[in-house]
Amino acid sequence: MRSVLRILRKDLRVLRRSPLALVVLLAYPLVVAALVGLVASYANAKPRVALVDEDRLPASIEIGDRTFRIERTIDRVANEVTLVRLDRDEAERQLASGRIVALLVVPRGFVGDLRSMARSPQLELETTQGGLSIRVSQQVQALVYQLNRELSDAYVEANLRYIELLLDGGRGEFLGQQIDVLGLESARGLLDELPSGPRLDRIREFVRTAELALGETDDALRATASPIELIESRDAGRTWALSAQVQSFALALTISFLTVLLAAAALAGERDEGVLGRLRRGLVGPGELVGAKVALAAVAALVVGLGIAVAFGAIIELGDVEGGQPWSRLPLLATGLALAGASLGALGSLLGALAREGRTASLVAILAVLPIVFIGLVPREVAPAAAVLSSAFPFAHGLSFFTAALFELDPWTALLREAAWLVGLTLGYGALARLAVARLPA
Amino acid sequence: MAEVRLLSAHLLSARHVSRRFGGHVALEPCDLELGAGETVALVGANGAGKTTLLSILAGALDPSSGTVERPVAVGWAPQRPALYGKLTPRENLELFAALAGAPIAATDLPDRPAAELSVGQRQRLNLALALLGSPPLLLLDEPTASLDAERREELWSLLAEVAAGGGAVCFVTQNLEEVARADRVGLIEEGRLTFG
Repeated sequence: MRSVLRILRKDLRVLRRSPLALVVLLAYPLVVAALVGLVASYANAKPRVALVDEDRLPASIEIGDRTFRIERTIDRVANEVTLVRLDRDEAERQLASGRIVALLVVPRGFVGDLRSMARSPQLELETTQGGLSIRVSQQVQALVYQLNRELSDAYVEANLRYIELLLDGGRGEFLGQQIDVLGLESARGLLDELPSGPRLDRIREFVRTAELALGETDDALRATASPIELIESRDAGRTWALSAQVQSFALALTISFLTVLLAAAALAGERDEGVLGRLRRGLVGPGELVGAKVALAAVAALVVGLGIAVAFGAIIELGDVEGGQPWSRLPLLATGLALAGASLGALGSLLGALAREGRTASLVAILAVLPIVFIGLVPREVAPAAAVLSSAFPFAHGLSFFTAALFELDPWTALLREAAWLVGLTLGYGALARLAVARLPA
Repeated sequence: MAEVRLLSAHLLSARHVSRRFGGHVALEPCDLELGAGETVALVGANGAGKTTLLSILAGALDPSSGTVERPVAVGWAPQRPALYGKLTPRENLELFAALAGAPIAATDLPDRPAAELSVGQRQRLNLALALLGSPPLLLLDEPTASLDAERREELWSLLAEVAAGGGAVCFVTQNLEEVARADRVGLIEEGRLTFG
């Protein structure tokens, strides 16, 4: 144990004297995390869609007695895509070159159909066959859905105005024609002035029933237009960048790169320096040497991981973000960082011993960590085989541990399960690394 | 098979040791014993197997076959200085002394990383590490390489003292003048050890 501590102290001293390596070791995973974040945010980016207006949409049109600002409505509801107004030829060119991903055409006659309320106006969508086409179709469908809702409201208002006209009578407009309507109320008044009789009584009864029925039309018509209404509310919760998952992911990704690379390079470095032979002459056994690298990785993970958690926490507190940072869980997180760091360090030691030489070990470590990280991010529901495979590596267990430690209300089951995995993986990879070190030429 | 020479007090005894690297035989099976007061030189062309044999004798490399008995502490200086470049000479000495449980009494050491020392200074540090704890048996791979004339003489005096004090020295050299310092000379040709 003393040998392990002495080698660990030496490694920490060597690390402290390699500021460039230290900066790269810390910066690289953070850059990778930022790039992954960018890719993730690209998934939410707005695709450019051309709006080809062949009908010369007016700024506003009258539907019923309601002014419908069509362009403003399109701009408002098109928040999922970036609409670029182009003529047809230019839009076709840009679609072919990939500068836009779809073409939304407002054909001639659109406004006329819209005004008439007699037939549905049509929009035309043309997309590429790229991977974004399904997403764009969905977003344009969402846009049309939103437009339909706006129009539906306008139509309902217009129809209700007609019903009001039928009930109360007066002057109105239908299909561009000015009309005078007697109204059911006035009709009933006129009928009351006439003498009673079975036939007139039937007409009076019909007028009364029609008045009652049309009087209830308001809510029914609105309900028919929107059978199910989704009410959205936005609370002041965390942004995506500060979410629990992102914090756990940033921690797991950073310490994975840091510790695997560090342990692999440190172990291979013993051979590069030529001291492996000297150490193995009864001074430090292969198991102790691996133990020192595992301890180095655990210490590095603990220090860097807590630093990241504190930085996250400070940002969250300064930004007064909903929920705050779970400071009381830091001891649990520290335990997870040390366990995950040790496990990743054992894996790194194995890679370092197999690679035999420092530069090769660093390269192998980077090449190994990337797929381990990405396979650990594949949801179990999407690819069960990937989940099984990733369970053989510490990244996924570290990620689960951090998530449970920081954000689950009742984390103990998950913590114990993941801790057991991490300890098991440390012992397994450590044993393999010990064998590889014992076979390593001096 | 190499010559076996039995002395009354063996400080090292290697029997039938050989080494293969994959399909390449670096060292044919050979025996070697080092007795108290003895100085042995190993000579041979580049790649003949001298360093391989010395590394096996020192315990830095496992033999493919055979056994090595080391009843006493062994000091080993490999051909390429085995030290941590980022540590100062004192830190290197302190680390290896602590690992070996040996005291150090070094003074006047350069206070900069070993990687920044001259080749000769690094070789002296390499030898100093081999001498930690004053082991009675020294295995030195080209110990005078990169040393100036004064340091070389100092080293030979020291090695003579070790042998005179009941210890033993086995060194590899390419320099035929240094062979005269040895009681016995082993010649290694294509992995075969013979004593003339």
